[in-house]
Amino acid sequence: MTIMWHQYFELFSLLCAVIFARGLNSFGIGVLIPLLLIDNIAEIIGVNFQYFGWKDNYFVYSIYLLVSTPLILWLFGAMLGGSPRQRKQYWWIGIAIQGFILINYCFIQGPFEFDTYSYLLITTAEIVMCCLVLARLAIHKDDQAGLLRDPYFWINGTTLLFNLVSLILLGALKFIALNHLEIRHKNLYLAILPAANALLYTGYSYAFILCHLQARK
Amino acid sequence: MTTTFLAMIIVLLFFGVFFLLMLKYYNIRRQQAAREKQELETRYEQQLMQARLEIQEQTLTYLAEEIHDHVGQILSLARIQLSSFREGEAVDFPLLHDARDNVARSLHDLRSLTKTMHSGHVRSFDIRKAVDEEVQRITRSGIVAISITSEGDEHSIGDDKQLILFRIIQECLNNCLKHARATNVNIGFVWSPAQLHIRVRDDGQGFDADRALRLKGGLGLQNILNRARLSGGTSFIHSTPGEGTTVTVQIPYE
Repeated sequence: MTIMWHQYFELFSLLCAVIFARGLNSFGIGVLIPLLLIDNIAEIIGVNFQYFGWKDNYFVYSIYLLVSTPLILWLFGAMLGGSPRQRKQYWWIGIAIQGFILINYCFIQGPFEFDTYSYLLITTAEIVMCCLVLARLAIHKDDQAGLLRDPYFWINGTTLLFNLVSLILLGALKFIALNHLEIRHKNLYLAILPAANALLYTGYSYAFILCHLQARK
Repeated sequence: MTTTFLAMIIVLLFFGVFFLLMLKYYNIRRQQAAREKQELETRYEQQLMQARLEIQEQTLTYLAEEIHDHVGQILSLARIQLSSFREGEAVDFPLLHDARDNVARSLHDLRSLTKTMHSGHVRSFDIRKAVDEEVQRITRSGIVAISITSEGDEHSIGDDKQLILFRIIQECLNNCLKHARATNVNIGFVWSPAQLHIRVRDDGQGFDADRALRLKGGLGLQNILNRARLSGGTSFIHSTPGEGTTVTVQIPYE
């Protein structure tokens, strides 16, 4: 079984999430624990697909998209908050997104392709939601702790940067593979995405530590 | 093609990082503004507390002086008058009536003083009433003639602001008595729709206001400006040697 270097960051963030579960719950982001668990499982299976004798790992990530989207939507719903009316609107949009991903999985791109449309949709939605959460933080947070001491800032800031990178890399995954786009004889996707992953999960781990420290106060 | 993809990623990352930095900058500005606001509120509270203490102190000093110089004197006189009566001697009724009148006057004066003491401690403050009483008190000394004018319909104004305004007026009147050698002082209230304008003008010897404000000795004048500013208003001190002094204060009602 192979574990790529960026997966250690992912595993470490899961470990932090489990250890500081109480802190995460106090910030209403306890849903990150099952989400990170699914992330890790999907990544381990995805990296070791040849071990299972499979031709490719696309179907693993298609299932991952299908399963993780409700958790992602739940997470952003908790971070966005808002009035009952806004929450209602948010959940209708969420149902529409999940509905499209399900339709794409079943009828359009199918379960054995990498569901690019679904990925583009959820990534774009995540970028928008990250921006909204961050803007809300900047506007409403005027205590002495500041933005950098807020776990939401690290979760959303790193998610935003990761999604901006992966939007292009995974959105054009097939194009990159077909045209053999490489940097130093390494697939463009494999050259950049691990670093982006490391950044994302480092941000998460730091956010979990902040959750723990602030919940303890 | 690879370069194009890399360029797109870098541009998007740049926008992402720029967005985060802008948010951080905006948040820092907000924090600064919040800190400044809090500092201002704290200073206002301190000034308010100081104004309350000063009013109480002045009231107590005034009470002590009045009791010693006025009530005490009359009661002493009444005691002397009453001590001249001897058992078995014929009663000098005019003297007795005089002593009774003196005791009655003392009682009346003590009641007035009690009112003054009350206004120095009460929480609900009426600036017009307080200024009237202060003016009556100073006028009794005969050093200076003070007139009060009022224009417009009176508006309600917060107790804290009234207290601060009263201290400003008291400071102006003290300056008139101590330094200005004024014979006439006018206190003008102008109740405009949004704010109260108060002008204290005297016909005293005047002074170089700019210079006095620069000097450390101009603490009373600085207090006037600071208190008006902390109450959300503005104040101006206009004075030239030989031409009297005018202090103008504008405070919004809200």
